[in-house]
Formats: sequence, C-alpha cells, structure tokens
Amino acid sequence: MRPLPLTISFALTVISVQAENPVDFSREILPLLSNNCFECHGPDERERKAGLRLDTHEGALALLESGDHGVVPGDSGKSSIVTRMLTTDADDRMPPIDSGKSMRASEIAKIRQWIDEGAAWGGHWAFEKPERPSVPSEMEGWRTANAIDRFIQARLHEADLAFESRADKETLIRRVTLDLTGLPPTVKEVDAFLADTSAEAFERVVDRLLRSKKFGEHMARIWLDAARYADTHGLHLDNERTIWPYRDWVIDAFNRNQPFDQFTIEQLAGDLLPEPSLPQRVATGFNRCNVTTSEGGSIDEEYYVRYAVDRVETTSTVWLGLTAGCASCHDHKFDPLTQKEFYQLFSYFYSLTEKAMDGNIHLPPPSVKVPTDAQRTRQTQLTAMRESVRAEIDTIHQDLTYTDPHLGEPLGELSQADHVWVDDALPEGAQGDGNEGADSWKWIEDPVVSGERASTRTASGLSQHFFIQAKTPLVIGSHDRLFAYVYLDPKNPPQTVQLQFNDGSWDHRAYWGANKGHASNRKGTANHHAGDLPKPGKWTRLEVSAEAVGLQEGAKVHGLAFTQYDGTVHWDKAGVVSVALTDAQLASLSLWEQFRKHTKAAPLDKALQDILDTTPNNRTEAQRDRLRRHFLEQVHPTMKASFAQQQAALRAIDEELAAIDKAIPATLVMEERKEPRQAHILERGEYTEKREAVSSQVPEWILPGREDLPPNRLGLAQWLVDPEHPLTARVTVNRFWQQLFGTGLVKTSEDFGIQGEQPSHPELLDWLALDFVGSGWDVKRFFKQLVLSETYQQSSRVTAAKRERDPENRLLARGPRFRLDAETIRDQALAVSGLLVHQLGGKSVKPYQPSGLWKPVAFGGSNTQEFKQDSGAALYRRSMYTFWKRTAPPPSMATFDAPNRETCMVRRARTNTPLQALVLMNDVQYIEAARHLAARTLREGGATLDERLAFAVRTVLARRPTPTEAASLLNLYEDQLAAFEADTQAAKDLLATGDSPRVDALDPNEHAAWTMVAHLLLNLSETVTKG
Amino acid sequence: MNPLREAALVETRRHFFGRTATGIGTAALASLLNPQLFATNQPNPEADLAKYRQFAPKANRVIYLFMSGAPSQLDMWDYKPQLNDWFDKDLPDTIRNGQRITTMTSGQERFPIAPSKFKFSRHGQDGVWISELLPHTAGIIDDIAVIKTVHTEAINHDPAITYIQTGSQLPGRPSTGAWVSYGLGSLNENLPAFVVLHSTVNGGFGGQALYERLWGAGFLSNRHQGVSLRSSGDPVLYLSNPQGMSESMRRRMLDELAKLNAVRYQAVGDPEIQARIAQYEMAYRMQTSVPELTDISKEPDSVLKMYGDEVKTPGTFAANCLLARRLAERGVRFTQVFIRQWDQHGNLPNDISRQCRIIDQPCAALIRDLKSKGMLDDTLVIWGGEFGRTVYCQGKLTRENYGRDHHPRCYTKWMAGGGIKPGVVYGETDDFSYNVVKDPVHIHDLNATILHCLGVNHERLTYRHQGRDFRLTDVHGNIVQPLLA
Repeated sequence: MRPLPLTISFALTVISVQAENPVDFSREILPLLSNNCFECHGPDERERKAGLRLDTHEGALALLESGDHGVVPGDSGKSSIVTRMLTTDADDRMPPIDSGKSMRASEIAKIRQWIDEGAAWGGHWAFEKPERPSVPSEMEGWRTANAIDRFIQARLHEADLAFESRADKETLIRRVTLDLTGLPPTVKEVDAFLADTSAEAFERVVDRLLRSKKFGEHMARIWLDAARYADTHGLHLDNERTIWPYRDWVIDAFNRNQPFDQFTIEQLAGDLLPEPSLPQRVATGFNRCNVTTSEGGSIDEEYYVRYAVDRVETTSTVWLGLTAGCASCHDHKFDPLTQKEFYQLFSYFYSLTEKAMDGNIHLPPPSVKVPTDAQRTRQTQLTAMRESVRAEIDTIHQDLTYTDPHLGEPLGELSQADHVWVDDALPEGAQGDGNEGADSWKWIEDPVVSGERASTRTASGLSQHFFIQAKTPLVIGSHDRLFAYVYLDPKNPPQTVQLQFNDGSWDHRAYWGANKGHASNRKGTANHHAGDLPKPGKWTRLEVSAEAVGLQEGAKVHGLAFTQYDGTVHWDKAGVVSVALTDAQLASLSLWEQFRKHTKAAPLDKALQDILDTTPNNRTEAQRDRLRRHFLEQVHPTMKASFAQQQAALRAIDEELAAIDKAIPATLVMEERKEPRQAHILERGEYTEKREAVSSQVPEWILPGREDLPPNRLGLAQWLVDPEHPLTARVTVNRFWQQLFGTGLVKTSEDFGIQGEQPSHPELLDWLALDFVGSGWDVKRFFKQLVLSETYQQSSRVTAAKRERDPENRLLARGPRFRLDAETIRDQALAVSGLLVHQLGGKSVKPYQPSGLWKPVAFGGSNTQEFKQDSGAALYRRSMYTFWKRTAPPPSMATFDAPNRETCMVRRARTNTPLQALVLMNDVQYIEAARHLAARTLREGGATLDERLAFAVRTVLARRPTPTEAASLLNLYEDQLAAFEADTQAAKDLLATGDSPRVDALDPNEHAAWTMVAHLLLNLSETVTKG
Repeated sequence: MNPLREAALVETRRHFFGRTATGIGTAALASLLNPQLFATNQPNPEADLAKYRQFAPKANRVIYLFMSGAPSQLDMWDYKPQLNDWFDKDLPDTIRNGQRITTMTSGQERFPIAPSKFKFSRHGQDGVWISELLPHTAGIIDDIAVIKTVHTEAINHDPAITYIQTGSQLPGRPSTGAWVSYGLGSLNENLPAFVVLHSTVNGGFGGQALYERLWGAGFLSNRHQGVSLRSSGDPVLYLSNPQGMSESMRRRMLDELAKLNAVRYQAVGDPEIQARIAQYEMAYRMQTSVPELTDISKEPDSVLKMYGDEVKTPGTFAANCLLARRLAERGVRFTQVFIRQWDQHGNLPNDISRQCRIIDQPCAALIRDLKSKGMLDDTLVIWGGEFGRTVYCQGKLTRENYGRDHHPRCYTKWMAGGGIKPGVVYGETDDFSYNVVKDPVHIHDLNATILHCLGVNHERLTYRHQGRDFRLTDVHGNIVQPLLA
C-alpha cells in the first residue's frame, strides 16, 4: 500500500499522493502563482512590480528589467521567480514578508518541478470548455447505480477507501425527503416505503417527492438566498416592500420543472423577451431584490451605481461563479476580468427605469399587478354583473320622460347649507387622540349648542384633542368655508384657539387670538390668523374659508384638531358650509350645469366632464343622452329614486372591484429605459470619477459573444446559457451537489476563479455539467440522478479511520451528514407536531418572535419599527414565508445561519452554538410544537407507553427507538409525570405556551409529561441533522 | 483524541450517568468527550493567532460607546471662538472648496455660519477646551485622548455607520467586534465574546436606524456575531425556560438529552454531536450567568451614585455603561453601547443638551470606575459617532437656535485606557471645523489603532472569502502612533 497523507484536503495536498505524475499547471501551479504572486505580478497593470507578469505565458518568460527571466523553461535554477523564493536575503525574498504570505518548501519544490519539466502553460480549468470525460469503468464488488458512482469510486479506489454500507431504509427516506422537500417523511410514508420491497421502491419515493409542490418550495427557498430576496428595502428606513409574487414565481418554476436555461433568461431578462407574459415579467424580480435606500440627503447618482454594481456581483456569483466585485475598483487581482469588462457588464444593469430613491414605499416603480386566479374570476363575474345592472337601468330610462322645468333660465340666488362633520361623536373610523392619548376626548352636556354634548378641554399651555383617519373625508368644494362652534369659559379664557385640518398633512391651520398655537413660527396657510378671540361666555361660530388654510377644491380632510393655549374651551359641531341648489332648482339639468360651472365643481369622470365642457349646441345626440342619463340617475331629486336600487348595486359592484384591485398583489420588476444611460469606467469604483465610456458587452475570454444576440440583458442571459459556456452549467450543478452533499465538488461554490478551490472530482463535475446541459437543463432529472446514486445512499456513519482520513467527507466514502438549515429545522418541528399549515405562496407572515426586537434599532418613521405578530394559520406556515426584515432578520433563523439577505449568498455556514441550543430549548414555536406532538402521541400513538413512544420517535426520526433509548425516554416520562402530578399548575402553564389552544380532553399531567419527551426529541442532535 | 477511544471511554463511564438524575452525569460526560469543545470562544481555531498577534496587547477588551446619528463636534469639542464674528455670514467658498454635501442642504441658497451657543472652558493639566455640555467628561480629560480630526467619505447615516463599523459602506462585511471575536475569542466561556447594548432616550427609542449588520459577522462564522443584551424581556434571546418548566426539569431533560446524544455519537461517530452536547451545556450555564451579570443589586452605592440616577433603570445609557463594565470584568472582549438621537438637523441646542445630560456623567463614571478597579489599563474605551456636523446652519438660524447637517470631513472622537496615551489632544481642524489642517485620522486609521491596542496587526487579521483575504481595514489604515501610550 502506498503511504497516505494523514488527511485529505483539497487544493494542493491531495496531489502529493501522486508525486510520480508530471505537474498539472492549471490545477497545481496556477493556484500557487495566483495566491502568492498575482497581487503584484498579475492582471492588474497598475499594481505590477518589476515589469514581471505571471498570469500570462509571455509574461512569465519575458526578459525583465533586471536582465533575468522570471521563468526559464527546463531550468529552475536560472528562473528568477525560484531564486527569489529561495533566497535567504529577507529583503529580496518572495513573496515579501510584509505581504503576510509565505510559501511552503513543498510548494516551491512543485514550482521547480514544473519549470524543470518544461514549464508547460495552460489556462485555468474553469475557464476552459468542459470536455466530456470518459466514465471510469465499473469496479467489481462495488454497488454502482450510475456514472456518478463510477467517478466517485475510482477516486476512492485511488485513495484506498471504500464505500460505507447502504443506509437503512428509514434513514434513506428521511434523508431524501428532507433533501427534496425540506420536510420529514410522515410515519405513513415510512411504512409504505418499508412495505414496498420491490427494486423500484426508492425510485418511487423519489418520483413522488419530485412531484410534490413542496419540492418547489424547498428549491426556491435555497435559490432565494442567491437572489437576496427579502420583504424590506434593506437600507435606512428598511420599510416593507412587495416582491413576494417573485418568490412564488420561483416556487412555481421549480415545480413545473422549468429548464434552467429558461429559468435564467426569464429572471435576468424576462421583460426583454418578445411580448413577455406576466409571469416572465414577474421573474425579473430577481434583480429587483437588491437593497435600496431613500435616506434623506442621498445623492441619486451614487445609488444608481451601487445598484448596478450589486446586480453585476450577484449575477456573476450565481451564474459565473466569479467574484466580479473586485474589478469594480481595479482590474481583478487574480482572474483575467478587467475593470473595463466589469463596467461593460455593469452597463447591462445601468439603464433601468427605477429611481435611485425607493421612496420608502411598497412598490417603487416599475411594478406589475399580479392577480390571483380567484381574483381574476371574480373580476370577470363582477364585470358581467355590472353589464346586467346597466341593462336594467336602460329599461327604466325607456319608461321615463323628462322635460327641463327651467330650461333657459339663469342660475339666480344660491342658498348655503351646513354639512356637519363632527357633532356629539367623532366621524366614523376616526382615531381620537391628543395630549392624553386615547383619553383626550372629554365631553360635557352643558353648555351645548347642538345635539347632546360638546367636547371640552382645560389647559395650561398648548394643548389639544384631535382625530385622524375619518373613514369618510370632508371633501372640500369651491367657495367652501370651514366652521366650528366654540365657547370660551369667561372664568378661564384661553389665549389662543386654533383649528388644524389634516389632508395627509397638518399644515392647514387657522387661529384666533394670540399666535401661540401650533406652528407659531409659520405664516400663510400653515398658520392663518383668522381673527380675534371670540367673546367668552357664549357660543360663537368660527368660520374660515378653506382657501385661507390652503385646502383647495377636491381636497379630502380626514382629521381635525381642536387646539388651545391655556384656558377652558368647549367645542361643538364642526364641518363645512357649502353653497347648494334647492330641490326645485336641482330638478333642472340646465341649472345644475350652470351651478357646476359657477362653483367650479370637481370634475366628473372624464367622458362626462368632456360633455359638460362642450357647448350644449355642439354636443352630439349620444352625448346629450349620456348627460341626461347621468343627471336622472344621480342628480334629479325625485327621479333618481327610480334608479336607487340599481345605483346601490353598481356602487357595491364598483366597491368590490376597487377592493379587488387594491388587494391584487403587485411586484417589483425590471424595465429598460428608452434612452440608455451611458456607463463609464469608474476610477476606484467612485461614481464621481468617470473615465472611458463603455457599452454593454460580455467578457470575451470566457466565451465570445455571438453576433446574433441582442446587446442587452437578454443577450447576456442567452450568452450565459449558451451550451458552450464553460462556467454556467458547472457552477449550477456544483450548487445542486452542495445542496445534497453539504459541500460542492468545488468547495468554494461562489468562486470558480483562480483563487477558488480546485474541484475534488474534476471529471465528475464536467460530466455532470455536460449531462445537465445535454438533458435540456432538466433540474428534476438531475436531482433524481443524484439521489439514485449509490454514493448518495450510503450510510453516513463514520469510522475513526475514515474520519481521520477525510474529515470533511470530500471523497464520499460515506453518506452525507450535516446540520439541517434553519428553515428546515423549524418546518420539521411544525410538520411533526401537525401544526404545519400547508399553503403555497402568498404574502409573507409574521410568526412568533421575541418582543422588542425591531423598536430599539428601527428609524422612528419606519413602517417596520413595530413587530405585529400574526395569529392563527400564519404562525404555522413554512419558514420560507416568514417576513424577512433585512436589518433585523427573524432571530430563530439567523441563529441557525440563515443569511440576512442583504447580499447574494450561495453557500451558508453551518455553525453549532449555544444560542442555537437556547432557541430549541425555549422558543415558543418549539415548545408549542412539542405539546402538539405530545397530543398527537396521546391520540394517535396507541394505548401503551411503548407504542406511544415508538410513535413519537418515528414521527420525528422516521425510525424506532433502540431499547436503550426507549428505556431512557420512558424513565424521563415517568419522572416528569410524577413532577407534574405533584404540581398540575406547572403542567397547565407549560401547556399554555403558544397561541393554539390545548386539548382539554387530555389529562394535563400526562400531556405535559409527553410534552417534555417530545421537547427532548425536538432537541436531539439527530433531529436537527440530516444523517 | 481518537474518536473510537473517546467512544470507548464514554462506554466505560456509562455508570456515571446511568443512574443519576442530576447534572453531574452530563458534566462528567462532557469533560470525557472533549474539554476543548467547551472552549468554543477561546482563541480561534479558524484563525492563526501567531500570524496577526504581533505586538504585546495593551488592551484585552474594548468598550465602544457609539453615538449614533453623529454628535456635533462644534458644540462639544472643537472650540472655534472666532466663529462668533461669523454669525450668519456665508461659509467662504474657499473653505467648502466644492466638496459634496447632502441633498438635504445642497438646495439651500446660503450656507450661513452657526457659531456654537455653548460656552467652553479649559480643563485638565493642559487646559483643554471643553463645552459646558460636558462637565463630567471635563473631569476625566486627563485620562482620555481626544481626536479632533477623524474623517470619513460617507455623508449619510446608513453608509457611514456601516463604514465605520465594518470598514465598508456596503453591507456584507464583518463588524469590528466580530473581527475581534474571530481574532481573539472570549475570555469567558459562559458569555459571548461580543455583546451589544441599546440605550433608551427618555424611556423610548427612535432616531437614526441601526442594523443587525452593524454588529454582524458578515462572512465570518455567526458565532462572532454580536449578541444583543436586552433590557426588557429575556436579556439574551430565548434564555428563560418556558412557563411551567422548572429549573430541575430543565436539568433533567438536558441530562437525558446528553445521554441520548452520546449514545448516538457512539453509533455514528460524528464529532458534531459532541460539539452539540457542549453547546447545550454552555446554554445551560448562560441561563445562570446572564441573570447574575445583569443583577446590579450588589454594586456599592458609591458606584451607582457615580453613574447617576438613571443607572437603576435598565436600558438607559447609564445602566448600559455599568453593564459594560460588568461585562468587561467578566472577560467579554468587545462591548458596544449604542445610543441614538444625535441627528440634530434642527433645534440642535435643545436636543444636544438633552443627549449630553444623558451621556456625560455615565461616560465619566465608566472611566473612573474602570480606573478604580485597575481595569482601565487593559480596557480600551472609545467614544463617538459615524461623522460630524456642519458649521453652517441647516434651516433657520438664530444665535440661540440652529441645526447642522452631516459633515464627514472632520469630527471628534475620544479614546481611553489600554494602549492609549492619556491627556492627548490630537489633530487640528481649520477655523470652521470644516477641513483637517493637521494630523488627519481616517476611520480606517482609527480601526487599525483599535486592533493595534489589542495586539493585533490589522493587515494580518484576514479571512479568505470569495478568493480574497479580507480585513477590517480593507487595503487601508495606518496606526496613529502619537495616540499610543
């Protein structure tokens, strides 16, 4: 047996196994040069020292300023890079001491060997088009299902390692169900699999899982890390945004197994497809998921640049596996990506119609409305109903005759009428408030000028009561005057009384007396002086024209404040006084028309207003009829009664249509500007430092752009999924591999560049990539192939010998085993407890979260400063639907390494911390799940303790407890039962955890004791691990 | 240790926990498994300490008093008496020199000078000018180093605070505290290495937003993330057992859990299981150590008095300063106290007076307290915000009332304790506190200096991410030697 290295780690040491082979430049030498030399001798021209360039063949061989050559093929002794690496002179030594880098003797020896062997040159492996490798031949005595196994086994054989036995069926079904759906199998599903002894049993399970809608959810959840999807803008106010229809699009795309190339094109450029469908536009939400700001003081240009940079970085991480961001400031230090090429990519994303400032609103444009099927159906129904009501109205018109009683007469004298808004009570829907908060409105029954009571207030200094959010606003007409009745206490008169009106802003104020009200430093309509204080001891009607306080015709007033400085003041009815026609006048179409003109009434809907604006003689017959109909249906004091029923029906229909329209979700999308914005190279990445103008173009050294592709995002997307592209397929299959095996074949799944890690199985990676493209980018087929491999189906048990040899399991001499993701841990607890509410998609929800997490950090004006927990079903949805506030993500998720979704992330960390223990120990979600699992155990688990325990354990772990485990758990059960029997209140307290009610029929002590057992099960290492 | 041998040891000691229902079994089990695992916060296995721990550390821990929103250097520290003659006159173009300003004031027709309305007087051995807003801080002036020339490029809060906290204006990088946790680990296995405290202002929160990323771990392991210690509810999230679950029930459940996990470990040999057993034990210990930490009832009256009345109200800045000392005492590496509401675009004199009343006494008390406990020598204390404020007025200007916009080009911070030369005033600004005239200190320089005090070479404390070795100071940062003791 060959001597073996103690551990097998990748990049370089693995090579030492095969010292007799010639050096492979691309895999062994290029990474060494990149890591140690490229910072000063690489692609970045400005940083280049001594004229030496080691990222190109010519550069390495060139004559240097010193007269030496960096590399002399066949003679390492004459190659200055070697002599400088070996010198003992600290000043000359490479890499320089102050770089913090140093090279091992074995690494220098490798470089010498390479030079002595002739210094063969080659490109970085990932930038070369993959060639279909030959599949290693099957090895005798090994379990082999498909080509994947043969690649893995060949490598294991080389390392003198062998497969672990196949995992037992219970382990297998739990593993594959978690892997393909993010949820555990039910006991029934486990039983069915155990009962199916056919050779296809496992494949049947896999097919069932791939058909499940949960597959799409699980796949989407992982993709959304890459898409940096979240429910808030992410910067400054971090207000809510609406983009969840994009999230639902991703779920759907995976469920209908959309080919990955199309999946790519629609997300990057769906809007640029010919006649894009609504879903194709929704898909472009991918690049609207980036963080945005609306911080006061920000400069637009700076943010246009930042957004485009983020999109380049995200797009290149996800599809190219390249860390393009480095090249935003300078040429890439390691990879051949130049700064110019970066800004050519940048240019693709620099010409969107979005605004730099998101306005802190839900839907910073552009956005599209995305009705659900139910909404669309109802809209059609309502529209049809509307038609039939209109038809009824037509019938009524046929029976009516109308002659204008005042045709040709002038308008004459007009009467005035009070429209009372506030009297004895606040308007409907209004929220009372004031100096004492909700208790600010106080009432007295004497003195009163109207109705039963008046509001009152005694103050020292500035004080007020007010309301906002009245359901029906006061609509201001032309010539309207606002009024309120006031009574000043003669014994304690105020210095000032003030009325403040709110139409979205409070800057509409009138005061009487001293200028001591609100906004006393303001003038004009924001603080209009309307007169002296009225005489105390009697009711006075205060009046001020709407115009004087800046309320124009059509303004809608929702709030009113009664303000005073010192004194005791009573207030009574308030409202608006308008000029109006008498009923007799109103029976005349011509007087009504004149009145509208005279009062400059707010315009009617456009068609009608156009008719009104047309001189009567010039109107067509159809126009006259239309106007007459409107008048009879809605204005005429008596005749309109004939239409009352239909009008009410129309109103109801319109209200519902409006409500649906309002409820239809919308989502952020991409849209190209008509006039493209010119991109420039930006010196050091600074938006103010514009250099050479550049246009959209792909980095040709990866794959030359095709002439027939459009020079926009669509062309970029099509370039990415060109079957000849060396990176996209490799990067994608590697991420899929990582998803199942915990580590990608290239561990640095975000970086396939020269600084990234070498693949553990380069041929397998290429084979998978070509196979994937060849299959038409078929994602479900790909996953099926992976899980059907024997490699995947091995037991994950690890012997000491194997652990020592391959601690990270890169060679796969055992099955994958690692901690579940945050979302899966919670979803699993919900599933096994029976609490999980399985509803696909929809608006994000806010399940349990400890109180007081948002307030201490949120901006005062943010609409996400108060966390309002949802109730009912929303507490039990899959975690991918949890509302994601970027600046304060859900803590139970973040604790288990969920990213904050501020930037693109394709590889999560997997830590093991005490804070995770605390979440599982004490988060109400998990305690509640435990008590529901306990209730299920009592009701569904059978009659005996043993049966119940088996049920609980099988529900959580898919397997039966061992005798040792059973004894231990039942021992715990008995102890806890005794403890609860001694203190039933404690049992009831425990069972009161969480919003859902406890099942009263169950004995609380027994239920609580089982809850402790269930609680323990949910905390087991095995439970939070895929094994 | 060989895992099979470990498993065998577990096996031979099974009687240890086979018959007991107390915590002894688990403790014994844990120590059998791998004592190293309890030291998760000890100097970091991911990082190569020798590579960057190149100087003898002067400070072992840091307390960072962060004034979010940006306090006005002109009204607190940077005394410019000659500005009185400039009242309501325009800022000379030669001073502004075309520098960009925020869009909140870029539309103003004028940039009228607003002299500070506050009186300054001289304090300490060198007669340092300090505003009347800071009477207590004036009393410790000989213990601190005042830096008048801190500067940054960011001109708005979100990018600026992200910049000073993480070394980058864009989200995604680890925060200073996370770097320190990564580099140096914790000195106390029962508490996190990096703790964050949020302060109320007059009983409430509000002001410029803060973000988890400001104490986040970025691409480092999330065990280096700052843990917020809360003043209401559980001090550490999910710390308390659910209602109805007594401490003994918890212990019993954890014992059984450890036992079953150990059985599983025997069966499958995965070392992560051992680690998880250890994490549960640490969680259990935190359930005791954290309440003890936040209980200040045993602090002597003299100490409480020093911090002022508010110290007894949890969540106040005063209470947080005392808590910071208690955390430092217990070996927490990095404690960051945030207080907001310094963003005074208008009504500055009134609002800054309120803020200074809140912070002045506790800041001084913290320094005195640390000193009297002999801890100031190896505790680095830092005070300040994300940028400064403009000499010109935003909004209406009177002698008595004015506002100031954001100003990145110079502002004042102070440092004290471990590694810092006391009694220093460093750097000079021009007559308008607009530009640095002498000894600029970029925020990267400041961060480099903080790491230096901890014995860390800021150029060597790196983490490989996306193929690049990242560091807190990016590719910048110079240690400010004259500040060092």
